[in-house]
Amino acid sequence: MATYLEFIQQNEERDGVRFSWNVWPSSRLEATRMVVPLACLLTPLKERPDLPPVQYEPVLCSRTTCKAILNPLCQVDYRAKLWACNFCFQRNQFPPAYTGISEVNQPAELMPQFSTIEYVIQRGAQSPLIFLYVVDTCLEEDDLQALKESLQMSLSLLPPDALVGLITFGRMVQVHELSCEGISKSYVFRGTKDLTAKQIQDMLGLTKPAMPMQQARPGQPQEQPFVSGRFLQPIHKIDMNLTDLLGELQRDPWPVTQGKRPLRSTGVALSIAVGLLEGTFPNTGARIMLFTGGPPTQGPGMVVGDELKVPIRSWHDIEKDNARFMKKATKHYEMLANRTATNGHCIDIYACALDQTGLLEMKCCANLTGGHMVMGDSFNTSLFKQTFQRIFSKDFNGDFRMAFGATLEVKTSRELKVAGAIGPCVSLNVKGPCVSENELGVGGSSQWKICGLDPTSTLGIYFEVVNQHSAPVPQGGRGAVQFVTQYQHSSTQRRIRVTTIARNWADAQSQLRHIEAAFDQEAAAVLMARLGVFRAESEEGPDVLRWLDRQLIRLCQKFGQYNKEDPTSFRLSDSFSLYPQFMFHLRRSPFLQVFNNSPDESSYYRHHFARQDLTQSLIMIQPILYSYSFHGPPEPVLLDSSSILADRILLMDTFFQIVIYLGETIAQWRKAGYQDMPEYENFKHLLQAPLDDAQEILQARFPMPRYINTEHGGSQARFLLSKVNPSQTHNNLYAWGQETGAPILTDDVSLQVFMDHLKKLAVSSAC
Amino acid sequence: MAELYVKPGNKERGWNDPPQFSYGLQALAGGPKRTPLTKRVAAPQDGSPRVPTSQTSPGPPPVGPPPPSDKASRPPPAGSHPASSVGPTNFPVFESETLLEDVLKPLEEALEDCRGHTKKQVCDDISRRLGLLREQWAGGKLSVPVKKRMVLLVQELSSHQWDAADDIHRSLMVDHVTEVSQWMVGVKRLIAEKRNLSSEEQSNEEKSTATAEENQTVPGVQEVP
Repeated sequence: MATYLEFIQQNEERDGVRFSWNVWPSSRLEATRMVVPLACLLTPLKERPDLPPVQYEPVLCSRTTCKAILNPLCQVDYRAKLWACNFCFQRNQFPPAYTGISEVNQPAELMPQFSTIEYVIQRGAQSPLIFLYVVDTCLEEDDLQALKESLQMSLSLLPPDALVGLITFGRMVQVHELSCEGISKSYVFRGTKDLTAKQIQDMLGLTKPAMPMQQARPGQPQEQPFVSGRFLQPIHKIDMNLTDLLGELQRDPWPVTQGKRPLRSTGVALSIAVGLLEGTFPNTGARIMLFTGGPPTQGPGMVVGDELKVPIRSWHDIEKDNARFMKKATKHYEMLANRTATNGHCIDIYACALDQTGLLEMKCCANLTGGHMVMGDSFNTSLFKQTFQRIFSKDFNGDFRMAFGATLEVKTSRELKVAGAIGPCVSLNVKGPCVSENELGVGGSSQWKICGLDPTSTLGIYFEVVNQHSAPVPQGGRGAVQFVTQYQHSSTQRRIRVTTIARNWADAQSQLRHIEAAFDQEAAAVLMARLGVFRAESEEGPDVLRWLDRQLIRLCQKFGQYNKEDPTSFRLSDSFSLYPQFMFHLRRSPFLQVFNNSPDESSYYRHHFARQDLTQSLIMIQPILYSYSFHGPPEPVLLDSSSILADRILLMDTFFQIVIYLGETIAQWRKAGYQDMPEYENFKHLLQAPLDDAQEILQARFPMPRYINTEHGGSQARFLLSKVNPSQTHNNLYAWGQETGAPILTDDVSLQVFMDHLKKLAVSSAC
Repeated sequence: MAELYVKPGNKERGWNDPPQFSYGLQALAGGPKRTPLTKRVAAPQDGSPRVPTSQTSPGPPPVGPPPPSDKASRPPPAGSHPASSVGPTNFPVFESETLLEDVLKPLEEALEDCRGHTKKQVCDDISRRLGLLREQWAGGKLSVPVKKRMVLLVQELSSHQWDAADDIHRSLMVDHVTEVSQWMVGVKRLIAEKRNLSSEEQSNEEKSTATAEENQTVPGVQEVP
């Protein structure tokens, strides 16, 4: 292994794991002095084209409090057919099927290259995937038409044996019976009254729950019981009727008088959807897909009244405690989200409207269940249509990139405990020997449930070193963590993905350089950012910023090289060099700053930040900026106003936006039409290059970002200007001279000022 | 066989709407990737910006022309592979106008094959949708790309290439849903029914030779590449 960078990259590719520290401080005291907690970003179902699953079940440690899975770190006695658990040191007999093993005939799970392995479980019935569409009909004609077409299109993309159902809502809520006969029938509910799951099931005639799964014979296509069959049917049976039913959907017929919002019963509609699946298909992979074009305006879960003259709550209203419906609505959706998570189902929200739709109140539905959240202006946009198509994209095997009902269990060796998780999950409240008393994120458990996930879903997992200072870990000793993810694959198979990793312990006093060199500043930045964003959900913004600042100063004090009271002497080693600028950009990001964003937008940004993998998360923290010119191939440049030059084209990726910006001269040349003259063909190519690169990003990104094509002086240049470090502002313009870069009209602190303060504080003995 | 094109987003309805990629391009997106643009430059530790590398000399911005082609070579896109061309690709030009009967007749024949095996109601429903297809085609409501791709779909169906036919149906639903949504589901169903029918016939033939092949899996020792 040549460098830590390669080691880190290899581990991420193989195991989907990035640790903040790759050599671990060996005592609790030393670990707390490292400032950044020992933690990792885990992508449980990271795509591994080179890893076919094995068709047998994992071997478990026989100690009932351990049950760790046999892995390459276990000591094996091939002659006695025994293996020692590397977590609890229990000696275990191999099961009878392993009698043939030897040093040269090893099962895959003992080979070092299978630190990550996936098992297919043959037991148990396979049940089809379920998609329940919950569709708002209070839309403009144009929007409703586009949505209907997208839904019809989705029937062609879904697996043919998947079950589908349809609920529509406006002032009333309609649950549609789906049958092969021509007659369409639906059950109508009032949108003002919440119903319990029992009431919903009684009213829909779902008197008894679906046949228990155990009774179904494995391998046989399970005949769905009649009761739920009326509302949830296999696509291949009802695709024609459902296409017609969708085609005939009309806008909500109730008149909306001037100055009013339409009455929209989102809260009851979701409640019915949750209740329907709860009664019929508990613990089976299912997606509730909510498509809405405005805020809930009546019944439980209403976010705003129907009087248009009363606007929907803003951050200002919330700070003034003036958001009338917020708490009650949030409570309603939290109740639904928790029930859904208990049932193992997930809820997607596709909200397309120009104004806010109540994502702030409804966010828990997607956040706690691993569902998607998509925010657009209209259903008749490419942003929505393509994002929606990509839900049904397939992997290299032709399998859908979606998985359901996952349980993630974390096992640790004795010197380590798990303190919590941050991501699209809920705690399963499973106590055990490896659960820390201290909580970071959602803690107090060694297991979490992720009801909906895809190959990029990523959790932050936080640990605590518990080894006492007086009892140092032996030299050369290693600590280990095992992640066990049980889930329903999109092919409906039950599968178990097991990742077992180990890292060296080091004594922080004598071997601090080792620990320092193995610091992963990118992972650390994202993990600290997740903690900050998690705090921001419950704490005041300025408190979170102060906390982040304090952590950064302490980290610089610990790992910077400097002479006391001499800021100019301050240096950080390579493994820390980018970290302060990540924190600088994080402080300015929409994840921590709500200024200029609506509560819905903040909820949307934070939703995506809490689930993307490291690369994407880092783009969100510090956008990528590439520069195109005649002077050479495109190159990454500083996210700084000094990079905005007249003879360059810039391509900026903020994850949510792709911005192409033409510098002043380039824009003039384009206006003069040089790109159309054959002798200036190279200029045409220069204009085209960033477009091609942008397209490459657009094709892979989920959700589709906004796409901004602008130039020097264009009003949309603000997207670029608001992200770059304002190293030149109207205040210090003349200090820099006029021709280098573009001054930004802002009073925000620049990275230089930020760094100057940071150094002063880091070297000060007062802190 | 899907078309490869990018069309602009709906700027009227969506603020900064991204361009729309055709089904073919989306399917290709799973293929080999260019180097992702994820590189960053570290700011100098004193936080001050580097001396910009612009060759723009101080003074008024240059108003002269860009360097002509012979002086500067074409800047490649940042990724390592050259960009794939994403303009509308030329579709094979058919010599004559696509004929409605060339498409509809094989579909109707396929439907006739299914009668007797498939529920009457389903067959009638498919038949109704083929009627819609005929009506819209004859009424001039279908665009050239839709007609051409339908020809290909029918060819695949006739040669029992179920997956290929199904894929063309999907590409039509994704790229041209407004035109085809009403009747395409009938074609989709027809592909599925025809596929069932042929696999039934096949399994009837093979019944005598077929033996239940137990999915023997030896736990533990498994060859994994």
